[in-house]
Amino acid sequence: MPCEKKPMRYGHSEGHTEVCFDESGKFIVTCGNDGDVRIWEGLDDDDPRFITVGEKAYSLSLRNGRLVTASSNNTVQLHTFPEGEPDGILTRFTTNATHVTFNSNGTRVAAGSSDFLVKVVQVGDSSDQRTFRGHEAPVLSVTFDPRDQLLASSSCDGSVVVWNIEEQNQVTRWNLLQKTNDVSNAKSLCRLAFQPHSGKLLAVPVEDKVHLYERDTWSHVTTLSDNLITQPVNVVSWSPCGKRLAAASVGGVIVIWDVSSKMCLERQKHEKGFTVCSVAWSPSGAELVYTDTEGCVGLLEGVCSLLSWQPSTVARDFDDLFDGDEDGQMDEGESPRRPQDDDDIITSTGRIKNRAAFLEDDNSLDTGSLKLGGEKFRDDDDDDGGSSIAPPPGPPVPLRPVYEGPMPTPPQRAFQPGSTPAHLTHRFMMWNSVGIVRGYNDEPENAIDVEFHDSAVHHGMHLSNALGHKMADISQEAVLLACPSTDELCSKLVCVHFSSWDTHKEWVVDLPRGEDARALCLGRSFVAVATSALLLRLFTIGGLQREVFSLSGNVVCVSAHGEQLCVVYHRGTGFDGDQALGVQLLSLSQKRRLILDQPLPLSPQSTLSWIGFTAEGTPCSVDSEGQVRPLLEDQGAQGQSRRHFNLISCLFCRCIPCKGSRFPPTLPRPAVAVLPFKMPLCQTSTEKGQMEEQFWRSVLLHNHFGFLSSNGYEIDEEAQSQSLKEQQELLMKMFALSCKLDREFRCVELAQMMTQNVVTLAIKYASRSGKMGLAQRLSEIALEKAQEEHQEEEEETTGRSEMSRYNSRQTEEVEEEDEEENEDREEETQPKKLDYLTVNVSPQVSSGGASPAQPRVTNILDNIPNRKSAPLTSSSIKTKKSPVLKPLAPKPKSKTQSTLLQMSSKTNTKRQESEERPEEPRTKEPNPNPAPPSPESTENRRPQTGFQLWLENHRKNILAESPNLDETDLIKDAMGRFRSLSAEERLSWTERAKGQSGDDPKKRKRPEEVEDKEGSKETNEETSAKKAKTVGVAEKLSAFAFN
Amino acid sequence: MDPSEVEFIAEKEVVQIIPNFSLDKIYLIGGDLGPFNPGLPVSVPVWLALNLKQRQKCSIVPPEWMDIDKLEEMRELERKEDAFTPVPSPYYMELTKLLLNHSSDNIPKADEIRTLVKDIWDTRIAKLRLSADSFINQQEAHAKLDNLTLMEINTIRAFLLDSLNCMYKLRSNLQPGSTKGQFSDY
Repeated sequence: MPCEKKPMRYGHSEGHTEVCFDESGKFIVTCGNDGDVRIWEGLDDDDPRFITVGEKAYSLSLRNGRLVTASSNNTVQLHTFPEGEPDGILTRFTTNATHVTFNSNGTRVAAGSSDFLVKVVQVGDSSDQRTFRGHEAPVLSVTFDPRDQLLASSSCDGSVVVWNIEEQNQVTRWNLLQKTNDVSNAKSLCRLAFQPHSGKLLAVPVEDKVHLYERDTWSHVTTLSDNLITQPVNVVSWSPCGKRLAAASVGGVIVIWDVSSKMCLERQKHEKGFTVCSVAWSPSGAELVYTDTEGCVGLLEGVCSLLSWQPSTVARDFDDLFDGDEDGQMDEGESPRRPQDDDDIITSTGRIKNRAAFLEDDNSLDTGSLKLGGEKFRDDDDDDGGSSIAPPPGPPVPLRPVYEGPMPTPPQRAFQPGSTPAHLTHRFMMWNSVGIVRGYNDEPENAIDVEFHDSAVHHGMHLSNALGHKMADISQEAVLLACPSTDELCSKLVCVHFSSWDTHKEWVVDLPRGEDARALCLGRSFVAVATSALLLRLFTIGGLQREVFSLSGNVVCVSAHGEQLCVVYHRGTGFDGDQALGVQLLSLSQKRRLILDQPLPLSPQSTLSWIGFTAEGTPCSVDSEGQVRPLLEDQGAQGQSRRHFNLISCLFCRCIPCKGSRFPPTLPRPAVAVLPFKMPLCQTSTEKGQMEEQFWRSVLLHNHFGFLSSNGYEIDEEAQSQSLKEQQELLMKMFALSCKLDREFRCVELAQMMTQNVVTLAIKYASRSGKMGLAQRLSEIALEKAQEEHQEEEEETTGRSEMSRYNSRQTEEVEEEDEEENEDREEETQPKKLDYLTVNVSPQVSSGGASPAQPRVTNILDNIPNRKSAPLTSSSIKTKKSPVLKPLAPKPKSKTQSTLLQMSSKTNTKRQESEERPEEPRTKEPNPNPAPPSPESTENRRPQTGFQLWLENHRKNILAESPNLDETDLIKDAMGRFRSLSAEERLSWTERAKGQSGDDPKKRKRPEEVEDKEGSKETNEETSAKKAKTVGVAEKLSAFAFN
Repeated sequence: MDPSEVEFIAEKEVVQIIPNFSLDKIYLIGGDLGPFNPGLPVSVPVWLALNLKQRQKCSIVPPEWMDIDKLEEMRELERKEDAFTPVPSPYYMELTKLLLNHSSDNIPKADEIRTLVKDIWDTRIAKLRLSADSFINQQEAHAKLDNLTLMEINTIRAFLLDSLNCMYKLRSNLQPGSTKGQFSDY
């Protein structure tokens, strides 16, 4: 039976109006912008009584003979009904109330206002007020739960909140609506409504649909929608029986649904299409009264005469309004669409999609129990199979115990590192160090653009993407594309091998049916594809199949660099948002070799967002938190937090900063940024922290060199030595810092990390700053190190002399003996030197009693620069040209200690030489000597030997001229003379010195040393000292030390 | 000074380019440039950037200030303030012209940027004229103008100096007191 639409009549001046029935159904009560509440005895009443409540009335509610109104003077007032006597002010807000409503028995009033508050006031006692804070914008509407426990409110901030009235807290909150700043700007008034009697369902108008939420679980049960409603739904209202729901939209459409069947029972359109802003059911449920924003009141009569109603009649009756076909379609088409809607809502309400499985379970449980309740709320086909497992009648007990432990994380999908998500129409399929592959998925055209960073590699390519490729990789040799399988076609792999010299540049491989390519990559002359069958298939770049091997889990991504292949896969199920990933690093040179198989560290609750290799070849991973971690055999977690950067291409920390979004747009083309790489050490604001950070970063980057060289890759030796040098320099700086802070223990710790010749420098530094105890400890370390390295070297030499080994074992034994002897001697000389250091202090203290050790130290400080400055500056110029460190670094390095020893022993000899001199120079003389060794141990020696050579030749002359000079003054004087020589002369001296030392250092040295009665012992050490020249580290450090 | 000379000076400014070739460091008198890695931004002087761009060897990364929002903000500020506001680059006009003329394909919304920079320029030049006017009107001996760029100074230099010279000559021939009337409509 159709309802009858009565002609509308003028009720109020234009503006927002509200309407309700009194409980008897006799009166229609309206309020409007004119500030009057009119009481109509039926719509035909030409002379309604009216009560003036204020300048404007925003909202009203009627129950138990009391009328509550929200008026423009920011108050909520009570009037008696139907007399219209003022009954006091219930509450006040700071601005006007927007909506007021009674609870079911009329004891409480809820009011929402523009000052973001919701208040619940006891009608009899207006002092009993409860305020609900939490909305961040004007409140649109409020509604009571019929059981009087809950209160729901909607607000302009887009939220719909259900409150517990007693506890005054939020039970649940959805962000469903569009945000606005004021009620007048809100698209919809969003009048919510709880289902009468049971309060089982809460109806919320959301856009052009009505969402029904279930009490307690607050899950989204269903959505009611209608094709006629194209504009936002303004108001919803339940019929008094609770089975029907009327909704009125901004477009003036009023629709009534049967909630259980979700059938549309009634569709009516406002005769002028004005916005309907209020609807109310008559207590009998037979009439529906509505008002619009123009102040008119309308009435639908005979809505759903309950018994005789049949959906078909309605459809037929509205044939003039709707197309019959469309109507039928709609009714049928609704059910399949619903679940989809539900899904959308789930995601839009911010629930994590991955929990959907659990939600589904919840839903099915609850719908089951719902059906058992006396409510007779029938939920049909549309609830994700919930009805299929509906339990037999019985008390609503949960079917399964609810699992409350850690939730498994859904495994991360496979992806290509350096790509943007596949659902974008314009996306980067790959951006790496070679080039960019862009995919366009516009309607008319589906294409792939390939662009190379280096135009010398190949010109750009434009490929049509008829197969729908989703994955791509690009290398110096080829472009690799893969598409997932469709119903007809199996997954295909296409390789454009552009560097091939024959005419067939392209090859295609079909994967077996049912196997999908999940991830792929290009290495040097191989192609790797990980498939859904947990296989990793290898092809040559020309298209030959190579090994196939199984992966132990679903692949996440693969990446290759040179002959290395890095595979990330799921090791198991992660919990609570964490992923459990594993990484395999393979070397594929001749035969496959597993280098590394370990769990992949990630930040908590993050996913892997990139994996690949640095320009140096270190495999690195980046997680969604922006942490960069190199994957090395011995490395823990390192990296630095960099949010909002999408690491598209990483040679080393080259990324594309994304403004605001997670993925960069294809146009305009994003610029690559090079980011600094930092390690997350503590206290990086302090100098110490900074240096520690620098040191470990350098160590980290350096570490991979060893791996590479062991794999036979070419390595940049210069870079390697550079980083070594830098590390030692940093260590020395840290040493100096902790020395300054009197952290001697820390100094020793640092010294443990230093190479041996840097330790000697450290000893010097320590003794210079008057820390003799420290110096002593350090020299012990130095000794240990010397021995260690010596042994290493021995092993090396024995290894190398395999050829000569078979000559005669005896000779070798002799050699070894020799070396052992050497060692012994070193051990001997070392303590001597230590004595020296201690002696340095003690005689002074004892003899020169008054002057403590300190001034002596400064004395050394003064001396050293004087002696050193000239050779150093010249050497520092030389260092720049100095050739790259020889790969045999360890060997010469190990000898530096002996340089030191030799120097100290030479001091001995010198002392012996100058035996005839008085005591004073004797004590002074050795002091400069601990200083020279380490600078001298390297290139510095060269220019100095030039000078020395000159000195040797001219010493006598100088001595003859000024016989009273002691050793240091002599050298000073000699230095002055040497400098005054012409450049060519000096050069020739240097040349000669070089020639001599280069050809046979013994020639020059030996006579001198033989004289000193130290004999062959010295020469041995001397030659080893010469070898030490090649060490480049110390020279830099010495530069530092004397700066 | 010729505007082209000012432009020449501006070509020393540094911009970032993304080369599509690889080349080791090049050592020039003005400093070392590079190394150039394809796909990685590198800072080079404008003259080199333009040269490479013309040979299609690189794409130019527009300077940070060459951005619609920033320029709009600047324009508003420039219009609001009576004095000259600091400009993002001392060669903003020259750089805009050079970069937009040669590599508008690398710069998003090139036309809008051109308009905005022209607006800023016009506003500043109007201010400059106004201040020159009041300078002459009030017969001040000196004036201080901050935040002027070389190009702006250059545009007004010839005219201002000549006219001041001229006026000086005229004034030195005239009786004191009558000058004001003479130049009030200047």
